[in-house]
Amino acid sequence: MAILCGGTIGGLLLGATPGLSPTMAVALLIPFTFHMTPTHGLMLLGAAYTATVAGGAISAILLKIPGAPANIATALDGNAMAKKGEGARALQICFISSFIGGVLGILVLIFLTPVLAKWALGFGPSHMFWIAILGVTIIGSLDSKSVIKGLLAGAVGLWIAMIGYDSIQGVERFIFSEHLEGGVHIIAALIGLFAIPQIIEMLEGGRINRQYQIIEVKPHSIAAAFRETISKMRAAIIGSVVGIVVGLIPGAGGQIAGLVSYDQARRFSPNRDKFGTGESEGVVAAETANNAMVGPSLVPLLTLSVPGSPTAAVLLGGLLIHGIFPGPNLFVEHADVAWAFINSLLVGQVLMLVFGLYIAGLAAHVVRIPPPILASGILVLSVFGAYSVQSSYSDVVVMLALGLGMYFLSKYGFSPAPLVLGVILGPIAESNYVQGQIIAGAGDGMFAYFFTGALNLFLIGLVVASIVYSVISEIRIRRLEPRAGVAS
Amino acid sequence: MSQQDQVAGRFQQCLPVLATLALGLWIAYESFTVEDPQPYLFPQLISVAMIGLSAAALFRAIRGANRTGVGIPLDLLLRIAPGIAVMLAYVLVLAPQLGFYTGSAIGFITLYSLYDPNPHLSVRTWFTRITITAGFMLVIYLVFALALQVQTPRGLFL
Repeated sequence: MAILCGGTIGGLLLGATPGLSPTMAVALLIPFTFHMTPTHGLMLLGAAYTATVAGGAISAILLKIPGAPANIATALDGNAMAKKGEGARALQICFISSFIGGVLGILVLIFLTPVLAKWALGFGPSHMFWIAILGVTIIGSLDSKSVIKGLLAGAVGLWIAMIGYDSIQGVERFIFSEHLEGGVHIIAALIGLFAIPQIIEMLEGGRINRQYQIIEVKPHSIAAAFRETISKMRAAIIGSVVGIVVGLIPGAGGQIAGLVSYDQARRFSPNRDKFGTGESEGVVAAETANNAMVGPSLVPLLTLSVPGSPTAAVLLGGLLIHGIFPGPNLFVEHADVAWAFINSLLVGQVLMLVFGLYIAGLAAHVVRIPPPILASGILVLSVFGAYSVQSSYSDVVVMLALGLGMYFLSKYGFSPAPLVLGVILGPIAESNYVQGQIIAGAGDGMFAYFFTGALNLFLIGLVVASIVYSVISEIRIRRLEPRAGVAS
Repeated sequence: MSQQDQVAGRFQQCLPVLATLALGLWIAYESFTVEDPQPYLFPQLISVAMIGLSAAALFRAIRGANRTGVGIPLDLLLRIAPGIAVMLAYVLVLAPQLGFYTGSAIGFITLYSLYDPNPHLSVRTWFTRITITAGFMLVIYLVFALALQVQTPRGLFL
């Protein structure tokens, strides 16, 4: 319980801090879990993941700076309420809505995961190979503004995973520095790729004194907030349904869930004209949606080892360092750990509600940490986190090198999520590819093994569909967008 | 027009994809020219994908069709350069030579002070900076050295 409480409070504060995304917060927490049992470690990560998503609403409401992209829709009405002196009411409604959406989403996770996992038990190496490739192409195509750059980042990630000694024959591959002799550790990659670029982004403004507008949080009755949220049940239902559907689609993310739900709630509301001016229905719709997607987004991760979001990709890294490989066999080999993790998400929702209602006012002070202090603190934490996993200084050097490289690539439209997923799924894809090749050698050959059979064709179809869908979306967006200016 | 609305020019867009193309070609060279290709079968696939995607991205960049990413203008580079220099000095020199905790404290206060908008000549500013650095490093020591019992490398100091 202490771990869950710590994870929830930490997650709320980290989520509330502008500049700290839930993905980075979870990545920074993984080294701490390395020293725990797998069950405790995953409980901490689960509670923190749940709380960071909800915590992002604190800065969205009080500062109009969404803690994460998922909270953009929350800021629209939440901040307007706060400016009217109703900050506490907005925060209370936000956490009650988050709880409703979060619990419904996790119930979907609880009931859907075992069914899918049972179906996936019959998967062979060729299917697992295509699933690993599907994971990279989904995140590569959907999480990036450019499909080509997303897939390219995924390919670079797959190559990074090959650095070091080959796991089958022990052959040295691509070691061009002494720091790479042990390969690239997942945690060093996670921290470097997610934390270092954000640190540099915090420094981009130079020595600018950022004055946050301080909004006073006046006391408000929690019971009244409960009554008001329940009276907005239509928005809560719309938010939950949208969140669950969006969560089940790999790569879609909380930002889409929040904005789609907000838009639909406005369309069906008799108070649609008041949206954007401090209408609590907008907060309910946005927050139920972005929390309802948390549980379903983990369904493809736990059953097929395909992360549905960048944060789920980081959680995949957290599972792997504890020797737990999510996928069809998770509920056979590590059922106790898997259920402890899922239950921790559910308990985390209750704790998030309790702590959220009582510490939201305190968090308003924490979120005003000046960027130079935040950047320096994350840097030191990243160095200690990367080092502590294997007590290897090479991990620190690799972490920084990857982070600096990622920062420069991100300025040209490359996203860290597909790169990270390539690093995580690379060994899985390779081992299944090699196993499949051996089986194919004894059978009808590579083409027959990897490209025939209903399931292979279905998975290949999904890989192609994820790319084609993203290409079409990219073309549509470009046609709608006015031509952007070009910097020299 | 804000920086958010801008995209990097053709020349800048070509640079990262030229780098990934060179990387892909190097991986292909390493993977296809070894005596025993067995451990390099998967890297061979990756290199082919990387070369193909890089060529497509390069073609789009040359045509001016790559419209993602703001690039790195000189003024931005000048603003972040001191921070990156501190990071490199901290990781490559300070922490291994002076000790993990000493190097981290120096790295923290240097980065913080460089980007802190408060006046550098004020005693009060430096008192705040030193207090925050000491407090943060104390928490780090308590968590990593005492709670998690992580043995950090020692240099001249702790």
